[in-house]
Amino acid sequence: MSATVRKLPSPTPSARAPVRPAPPARPPFRDNPKLILLGIGLLLAALVAMITLADRSTEFYPDFLSEVVLYALSVADLTMLVALAFVLARNIIKLVVERRRALPFARFRAKLVAALLGMTIIPSVLVLIVGSELIRNSANRWFNPPIEEVLSSANEIAGDYYEERSGVVADHARRIADALPAERVADGDVGAVRDAIAPEVTEGRIGMVEVYQVHPDAAGRPDVSALVAVEAPTLPRDHERASADRLAARVAAGSTETRALDRLDSGGELVRAASAVRDAAGKVVGVVVASDTLSGELASHSRRITEAYEAYSQLKVLKRPLEGVYLSFFLMVTLMILVSATWMGLYVAKRITRPVQRLAAGAREIGAGHLDHRIEPETADEFGALVEAFNAMAGELAVSRRRIERSRIDLERKSQEIDERRRYFETILGRIATGVIAIGADGAVTAINGAALRLLGLEGPVVGEPIRTVLAREPLEPLRHLVEDRRPGALEPAAHEISFVTGGHETRLSVTATTLVSDAGSVEGMVLVLDDVTPLIRAQRVAAWRDVARRLAHEIKNPLTPIQLCAERLRRHFAQAPPQARALVEECTGTIVGEVESLKGLVDEFSQFARMPAPRTVPTDVHALLDEALALYNGLLRTVHLHRAFASGLPLVRVDPEQIRRVVINLVDNAVEALGGPSGAAADGTPGRITVETQYDATNGVARVIVADNGPGISEADREKLFMPYYSTKRRGSGLGLAIVRRIVAEHGGSIEVGDNVPTGTRFTIELPC
Amino acid sequence: MKLRFLVPIVAALAVGALALGLHPAPVAAQDLRVTPLPRNGQVLVSFTLVDAFDDDVRAAIRSGLPTTFTYDVSLMRAVSLWFDRTIAEATVSATVRYDNLTRRYQVTRMINGRVESTPQVTDNEDTVRSLMTEFDKLPLFDTADLEVNAEYYLRVRARTSPRNAWFIWPWGRHRASGRATFTFIQ
Repeated sequence: MSATVRKLPSPTPSARAPVRPAPPARPPFRDNPKLILLGIGLLLAALVAMITLADRSTEFYPDFLSEVVLYALSVADLTMLVALAFVLARNIIKLVVERRRALPFARFRAKLVAALLGMTIIPSVLVLIVGSELIRNSANRWFNPPIEEVLSSANEIAGDYYEERSGVVADHARRIADALPAERVADGDVGAVRDAIAPEVTEGRIGMVEVYQVHPDAAGRPDVSALVAVEAPTLPRDHERASADRLAARVAAGSTETRALDRLDSGGELVRAASAVRDAAGKVVGVVVASDTLSGELASHSRRITEAYEAYSQLKVLKRPLEGVYLSFFLMVTLMILVSATWMGLYVAKRITRPVQRLAAGAREIGAGHLDHRIEPETADEFGALVEAFNAMAGELAVSRRRIERSRIDLERKSQEIDERRRYFETILGRIATGVIAIGADGAVTAINGAALRLLGLEGPVVGEPIRTVLAREPLEPLRHLVEDRRPGALEPAAHEISFVTGGHETRLSVTATTLVSDAGSVEGMVLVLDDVTPLIRAQRVAAWRDVARRLAHEIKNPLTPIQLCAERLRRHFAQAPPQARALVEECTGTIVGEVESLKGLVDEFSQFARMPAPRTVPTDVHALLDEALALYNGLLRTVHLHRAFASGLPLVRVDPEQIRRVVINLVDNAVEALGGPSGAAADGTPGRITVETQYDATNGVARVIVADNGPGISEADREKLFMPYYSTKRRGSGLGLAIVRRIVAEHGGSIEVGDNVPTGTRFTIELPC
Repeated sequence: MKLRFLVPIVAALAVGALALGLHPAPVAAQDLRVTPLPRNGQVLVSFTLVDAFDDDVRAAIRSGLPTTFTYDVSLMRAVSLWFDRTIAEATVSATVRYDNLTRRYQVTRMINGRVESTPQVTDNEDTVRSLMTEFDKLPLFDTADLEVNAEYYLRVRARTSPRNAWFIWPWGRHRASGRATFTFIQ
């Protein structure tokens, strides 16, 4: 039974193409009812033929019975025996193999087949044995002694009657032959011979007398020719003379067989007997053939008796072949039943186990995840319904699985979107300058971005640590207090501004604390948003100072000219005054004019600070710009060494060359000033050294200009104030130089930091984007 | 006992039983006496079937069945390491029919399908036995195909009809056989 398990094709685009449907598979014999009916019909026809053959077996010619029928039946028996052995062996081997392979239901199938075969073979063999014995006993009963004795006796009687009649006729023939004159016969004297034999016929002693003359033929062998025949009128006319001729010839030739029996068409039989006519020398010169009829009824009775006896005897002789034929028939029928039953048993076993096997195989396929697996229903019975239910279950499973798969894909997509969003927010949080710290309900840090770490100067793993521990450092205490003082359950965001100094830098942060509340209303933690407002504060200060400077310049510059004019007028007015007075006036007016000039210069610087134009940037070779700026110091510096350390590969930087030149000169001037002037030296007495260095940070896209000196350096406390307007450590100066420097650098999008030089001195680092 | 041991044993027993039960009964070469005589360009064959008239044959004849003794005569030459070569073949048969009414036997002899002589009628069973089993100097083969000074042999196999065959294995047609070797000298 072939498996017809199929897999549903996947709905690929190619499957939608019009394809020629495959021709339906031809069902095997066992599944084709027409063929099964045809087989059953042939089987019945064979049985009918066998029964007919067995019924007519006694009519067959013995040779045909023993040479053809028996051979044919034996061949058929052996063929069916071989077929039975083959079917049994094949299926037993298959069952053994299936059991060894532990195929499902192999044991059940083996038991079922064994039970069916046992139920078939045992009764069949028993019936065969009993039936064979019955046939043998029946055959023996055919030939029971009484019948045989009766038939034999009857046959003896018939034979004796014939023997007696033929003996009488033979006696007549012999007597007539002895009475016939041999010379008359030899001479062919018909009249004399007729006269001699006629009374035997006319007086009714014999039915017919024929006399043959014997004479040698060309080869010297005796030949006979009819001489005379006398026939009684009562003798039937349908006898054949040829029979008498053959008998006469046989006797003339010396045969001892002198009798013959001819059947007559009229129903009787003609008994013939011959006797030789010898001459005095004993030579056969003639033959007398005497014939007489046996009456039709008597003859037919005798013949029927003989035929019955012969039929009985022949049946007895053919007893074994006939027994063989019947037993062969019986064996054949038994084998047919066995083969049919064996096949049917195996078929039934398969019909029972196969759907279950297929269901089990289908269940395994479904279990392996092949939900498109289907089982082709082969029957419309309960198994077919079971298969349909299985297929429906598999279909529903497939649908459910597809739904789950779609849900999983949706979930994965959403999870991916969430991940992407999370990464996006993490990127944003990581890139923004605003620091964000998420604190869980338990007070531990759940998330913190890089800006927060940088602003707070935190290092190492922070996530998971209690916020109190994270903010335990002294500079961060204001922030810790802010967190700790946050009222539990306060939902409104609270903004604070705190400042702390780390590494000599004052940092001012705008902190916004927001309580995280879930949809259910429970507090899930807090978010701290840190904004570095230090540049803003600085800008505000600078703006304030610029406004002050502008007002001061305006308010101061206006009266300076009248003051200066008035002072000069006083000088001129008192030019004719007495020397003492004139000297006083000269001194006062000179002081006034000088201070006015000084105020004018101060006001100009203020104006310049306040009115600094926006930089007009062009791609500039920074090294050339630095060389040009530093060239101003050629010959001016006596003991201070101006050193250049330019990096190679520095690209063009988009700057305002004039403003940057001013920045560099300002910084170099400050360095020279810090070293004590052009003839200055370091604190340890070594010659003063100013290094102008460039660096290129390709990773961050930054060009650095560093101006370092080995002077006394700047204390940490002064560093932050250093860039504030009107702050100066020098006795002279407006305190606007570094403020202007910072402003120029800031307006170029860069930054300037001050730090310690190694081993001594100050190091200004300018970063310009490029 | 494991099935894998049982199956070969059963198969071997079945083959053995088949070989023993189905093998035709061995024939006795002495049942048929054969005498060859090459003479006058012909091989004259004489043979006698001994003890052929057993009760079964006698009963068959007496039942009126035409009973035939058929003799397959083969002139052969031995070939070493191969089947013997058959030079010529002939079939001799004698058929007797007994008439229970007249109590006469009619015997007809045939050689290669031709009636040898007129049917002989007798009431003597010994005569019938002689006619059925004794054949004298039958000119069956021509010596033209024989090689001078070569050794040949005659093989005669007798069978009867009707056969008292048994079912299941009715084969084994020849009930007796005999052979005689001769050297053809011209």
